[in-house]
Amino acid sequence: MKKVIGTLASLGLAAVGLFGAVAAQAQNCSVWLVESSRFMNVPFGAFMPDRAYVPGSNNPNNNVNTVDLPVNVGVIKCGKELILYDSGWKQQDYLKMTGSDHWAPLPDQLKMLGFNASDVTKIVIGHGHWDHAGQLMDFPNAVLYVQREELKGIEWALNYPNPKIAAVNTSPGGCMRTPACGYPPKTLDEIYGKVLAGKAMIVDGEAEIAPGVKIHPAFRAHTAGSQLLEVPTSIGKLVFGSDAYSSYEGIRDWMIANPQQTDTVQQFLAYEKCYKITGGYQNCVSAHEPLSYTDKYPLTKNSWIGINGSRMAEIALNPGERSRHP
Amino acid sequence: MSTPAQSSGSKRTFGAKQLLTGLALIALGAIAAVAVLREVTRAPSNSGSAATVGNAYAGTVPRPARTAAEESYATGLWPIHEIVQASAVRMTFAGLSYKMGEIDKVEVKKRVAPLSKVFEQAQVKFDALPVPASMQTQHEQYAEALRLYRNASTEMVKVAQDGKEEHLVKAQAMSYSASENLLRVGDVLWPGEHRPN
Repeated sequence: MKKVIGTLASLGLAAVGLFGAVAAQAQNCSVWLVESSRFMNVPFGAFMPDRAYVPGSNNPNNNVNTVDLPVNVGVIKCGKELILYDSGWKQQDYLKMTGSDHWAPLPDQLKMLGFNASDVTKIVIGHGHWDHAGQLMDFPNAVLYVQREELKGIEWALNYPNPKIAAVNTSPGGCMRTPACGYPPKTLDEIYGKVLAGKAMIVDGEAEIAPGVKIHPAFRAHTAGSQLLEVPTSIGKLVFGSDAYSSYEGIRDWMIANPQQTDTVQQFLAYEKCYKITGGYQNCVSAHEPLSYTDKYPLTKNSWIGINGSRMAEIALNPGERSRHP
Repeated sequence: MSTPAQSSGSKRTFGAKQLLTGLALIALGAIAAVAVLREVTRAPSNSGSAATVGNAYAGTVPRPARTAAEESYATGLWPIHEIVQASAVRMTFAGLSYKMGEIDKVEVKKRVAPLSKVFEQAQVKFDALPVPASMQTQHEQYAEALRLYRNASTEMVKVAQDGKEEHLVKAQAMSYSASENLLRVGDVLWPGEHRPN
């Protein structure tokens, strides 16, 4: 009798464990994309050298002069977790940047989707550049995930004796001439603020931050500590790549992007990782996808206009998750 | 002694209790499993209508050409700004390295104390710049940033004395405000500084 009771009790415990594991593995995430701001009229070749404009060319790869580049943020809901991949930049009315438009505060954009800033539990920054790691202070409950390698890379460039290789701008003309730059004081202060508040995880390589939601390192695919985020969804796995990923067409055609700090071999290895995880290129999500929110980019075909002309898209919904499309 | 009688009665009671416990565990397991499955498939209770808000945020604005005096001011301030930016980031990294356990509080002071002098020297050069009237606002914003950075560095090194992290928190808040002023000034003086990255 005791044996029977003991067996039944064990089966009960095993059932709890099994159901929990199955539920965790079965968990998909709902995903939206939000345009934090948009860089306007960027020479295509500055973004992707293979797409440099050639006047009079009939080659579709070289007959587009400029493109508008969104700064896209991934909004990922997995069970009770609300995760952001990248966090845009804060450009309020005290800062009107030449060439940039359609900015809106990320908390307000999340509100349009029915979320509060306080709902965000985690923020994974693809890398620490100023246009991807801003607005962190606006999400008080979010734990920031940043690679240790990213911070080490910034510090190395900061202290390198040659001013042409610096982590902050050494040319008023911008970052292009100081290849290790892109980390102004405010961006670093935002990251530091999260660390001081005990709301940061310094990641060493791979990490699973929610069931099935995995950080993959992509060191030097753009910056020293770039990282990808794998997300299971009802349309298959997505891999967010920030600037390690060029564009939909770029990953399809194996073209590089953002060359100023990029080890292009590592960038291609990051593409390959996406191919392996997702089975193709269609679910690899880049931060500055020029075809975002158009019919030519299938992932964001369900899109709409939000605040100040910024755009949003609903990429995948978990069963039972309501659509946020207005 | 009533022990044997009690013993046999206890055996029957003990067996029944075990059976009930086992059944309760199975029932709890089933309830937990249902609860977990409901949680991951539960529809969110929040509701939000997605109305398009009016254009409350201005976009790009055409900029007028700068006067010779304004160009001279921007050119003169840039070398100071380069040093101030780099020093500000170094100060932040001293705090980061301390919080990550890579350096101790003594090393924090060793790294940050010299930066106080850098900010003071920057202040001297800054005060010597001729300021056109049209740049007075930016000049005051930059002056405030310098003041905040100096104060932040002074506050930060106090952690070496008493080990209290509140000094780092206070310093970070000042540094953050200063960095916003740098961006405000930079947006006017060096608008091409931040490109897609």
